[in-house]
Amino acid sequence: MSIFGTLRGTLARLTGLAAGHSRDAELREELEAHLEMATAENIRRGMAPDEARRQALLASGGLTLASEAVHAQRTIPWLESIAADVRYAFRTLRHAPAYTAIVVVTLGLGIGANTAIFSVIDGVLLKALPHRDADRLVYLRQSTDAVDGGNLGFSVPEVTDLRAARSLGAIAEYSPFSFTLEGEAAIRINVGLVTGNFFETMGLAPILGRLTKPSDDGPGVPPVAVLTEQFWRTRFGADPNIVGKTVKLDGRAVPVIGVVQAAPWFPNRVDAFLNMVISPHHLSAQMIQGRSHRMTEIVARLAPAATLDQARTEVGGIYERMRRDHRESYDSTSHYRVALIPFKEALGERARTTLFLLMAAAAFVLIISAANVVNLTLMRGVRREAELVVRAALGAGVGRLRRLLLVENLMLTLAGAVLGLGIAFGGVKLLVGLAARYSPRASEIGVDFVVLGFALALSVVLALLLSFVAFVPGEGTMASLVNAGFRRMAGTLVRQRVQRALVVAQVAVSVVLLAGAGLLTRTMMQLAEVHTGLQTEQLLTFDVTLMRFGAPAGATDNASFFRSILAADVHVKQQYEQMMDEIRALPGVTQVGIGSTTPLEAAQLWPIKIDGRPVAVGEPMPQADWRTANTTYFRASGIPLVAGREFAATDRPGAARVVVINRTFAERYFPNEDPIGKRVALTGEVLQFTPLSGDWRTIVGIVGNTQDGGLDKPPRPVMFFPFAQELSFAGSFVIRSDSNPALLNPAAARIVRRVAPTAPIEHMMTVAQIKDQSIAPRRLNAALISSLGILAVIIATVGIAGVLAFSVSTRTQEIGIRMSLGANQAQVERMILGEGGTLLAIGLVLGLAGAFFGASILRGMLFGVAPRDPTTFVVVALAMAAIGIVACWIPALRAARIDPAIAMRST
Amino acid sequence: MPDRSEKLEVQQGTLALMILKTLDVLGPLHGYGVARRIEETSKNRLTLNYGTLYPALLKLEQEGFVKAEWRQSENNRRAKYYSLTAAGRKQLARETREWHQTAELIAAFLAPKREAP
Repeated sequence: MSIFGTLRGTLARLTGLAAGHSRDAELREELEAHLEMATAENIRRGMAPDEARRQALLASGGLTLASEAVHAQRTIPWLESIAADVRYAFRTLRHAPAYTAIVVVTLGLGIGANTAIFSVIDGVLLKALPHRDADRLVYLRQSTDAVDGGNLGFSVPEVTDLRAARSLGAIAEYSPFSFTLEGEAAIRINVGLVTGNFFETMGLAPILGRLTKPSDDGPGVPPVAVLTEQFWRTRFGADPNIVGKTVKLDGRAVPVIGVVQAAPWFPNRVDAFLNMVISPHHLSAQMIQGRSHRMTEIVARLAPAATLDQARTEVGGIYERMRRDHRESYDSTSHYRVALIPFKEALGERARTTLFLLMAAAAFVLIISAANVVNLTLMRGVRREAELVVRAALGAGVGRLRRLLLVENLMLTLAGAVLGLGIAFGGVKLLVGLAARYSPRASEIGVDFVVLGFALALSVVLALLLSFVAFVPGEGTMASLVNAGFRRMAGTLVRQRVQRALVVAQVAVSVVLLAGAGLLTRTMMQLAEVHTGLQTEQLLTFDVTLMRFGAPAGATDNASFFRSILAADVHVKQQYEQMMDEIRALPGVTQVGIGSTTPLEAAQLWPIKIDGRPVAVGEPMPQADWRTANTTYFRASGIPLVAGREFAATDRPGAARVVVINRTFAERYFPNEDPIGKRVALTGEVLQFTPLSGDWRTIVGIVGNTQDGGLDKPPRPVMFFPFAQELSFAGSFVIRSDSNPALLNPAAARIVRRVAPTAPIEHMMTVAQIKDQSIAPRRLNAALISSLGILAVIIATVGIAGVLAFSVSTRTQEIGIRMSLGANQAQVERMILGEGGTLLAIGLVLGLAGAFFGASILRGMLFGVAPRDPTTFVVVALAMAAIGIVACWIPALRAARIDPAIAMRST
Repeated sequence: MPDRSEKLEVQQGTLALMILKTLDVLGPLHGYGVARRIEETSKNRLTLNYGTLYPALLKLEQEGFVKAEWRQSENNRRAKYYSLTAAGRKQLARETREWHQTAELIAAFLAPKREAP
């Protein structure tokens, strides 16, 4: 047989499926012609006409059989019979609307939850990265045990040492920095100061213009800017002529040379990349020689043929030598270490736990839904047994019946998948918000073909499962069916056991989910109870940056750079004063303060020294948050004075240097002594790179702690310097109001705009909003897990009630007999309650055990509550028990109302 | 009428070849004619019922080896006439060759007497 012949044949048969009655009529005519010719021949041979036709018919082998055989050849029989199955399944399901609706909705919820969360996992963790050969990229992280030591970055000498690693082909460096993008609606933008090899190493291409290259390195070159795709789109409306235009950053005009393709940026969002020349500091001798001056993030590309393990070993060796040769930069108690993490993993590391937790919760919900549907199918199977047995007796094979069930179940699960995809589309929008807090790849989340494939695979697997739990009669079951008087016949006991096991599993899984939800909810409650340390929440805060850090042309070293910004500082302070005066005059404002940082916001840690307490080599340097505050800052914020005094107008530039510390500072560095009158000073290499002074400062006051950096964070040691005595890197306003502080937003913004029209106003928030923002990710987690938990409980409740109701309906006769023999309603009720209660109790015990052993994975997401919090477990168990008993009661009541007379007669 | 025991079932795969050969020899022909010719050639040892013949004709048509058209028959009746296409002619040559080879092979295979062990 030639291939073309086969192909033509298949094609003809496929088209034959569509062609209909005209072909049949034609065939009948052809067969009739054949018959007539045969009859005529027979007559010619001398038969009587009737006999001639009869003989011809006999020889034909049957016209109907023939047309069926031709029909089978014309079309593809199994495809046709599947179409028949689909029509049949559709009719069957239409006649069981309640069953169909429950199954579709249950599966839809299960598939929807799973598909939505899978789409997030796919976008954030699984999808390929846009970088060329992204699997060769490795993120390097230096960290210590110290507070804020999670990601130190690297210093220039450290990067230079690492370049010796031969398993690393190239190292891309970038320093996170921020500038004010001036112009209409000025904003602060995040920039990366990059070396010329950055984009080549990262494997990224421009979509417009060019990217930075090695000739952009070093001093004496013009500054250039590369925009990220997202920033180009959102800020410049995807202007196709952007290349060659200039952007004004901190007072310096910088030409845009290109736009880089969309890619996730790590560890921070980046709006633009600049070459180093924009920041003379980055080219200064101090930066290049200061080993502990760590400002650079690095991503390396593995050398061809090098493996990750080789790189880890080699970098580990180099790092060991670095620590040995430069003990002063790596004190031994802080456990300096460096980790090599595949770039894709690094991008997903913060999201991974949360997402897998959600995926597990969603999978649990799907298990419960599937269990419910299996139970429903089993019960329905009993009612359909008679039908299936008759079909088997009429010649349908086991395979044919299974196929019928499979088609029916596929229709159910696919309908569920369609509903689920609808739910997923809605859910994904919500989840993108969640993912954006944990991952730079949130924008890649979407319902695409991979996700559709996932939902489809889920529904096919479920359909297969459902088709194989159902009972299918084999050959010869007709007889046993007739013998049994068309009643239930096979596998009743086994089936009941399966049903009961499923109910137990549903309860157990619901308890686990509820326990997780309970723990996360308790975490929320604990967080809401945390005191911010501020006496009032009637505060509006915002940041205004007036100082420009763009290097003035000609400033080539730190000294001249500092001189220029110190000169500018005088004017900046006058502007801040003017803003404060005008804001204070606004109606409703009771107090205005200014400092470097808003309360509840974390500031940068600085190494300090304490008078009379030298630090030995190898010992960690004491550290504290560095902030400034003016005379009214503490009162405006409602930060209580614990001892000593606040800043006074006399703490001017030139006057004695003073400092106010917080309670944690006092407790950590002055345990058992009075800190007032003691002296502290900034110290360390870092000091050389700033215009701050390392002079001794006398402690004049102690204030209360505030929850800086989040309600769940441990308090940090903080020192405040007088706003008037220090450079105004930034200005954070604290405005206290006697009414709703949010109402002051527009008036305050107007004042700032008038005084400094090009200055960006950022983070305008009330304290209530700051608190809310700090809780939001956990609240979303808790809400998601709780909704999945509640969903699980609802489905499980329906499951328990359904199985018991079914059990009651199959035992109607037995119950009737019991009652006619003297059992009263209460006894019957107890019997059914006992049956359900046993299942419930087993499920509860198993669920609590599961929660007990599984809770530790939640540890990192909890606050103020232990993973095995007894209160939560007890409440969850009681709630589940109560709901379960209600679910058992309904069928129990129905059982008790059985009329023995009717029950016995209905045999 | 031939003896019942002499009747043969049409062997799988051979019917198509017989039809093609018949059409090659006799030219365009209706189903009845094809059946008669095959039965006569086989000296009535083969009988073809419609359920065997017509699906086979349809299959050849689908594969493009024969084409069919409605015509007046010799006794003035409308009948569907089948004729060979160019592809059918090629297919006939190929199948004939293959059949000869198979027949030779089987004959050679069955020829030798039992050999002494």
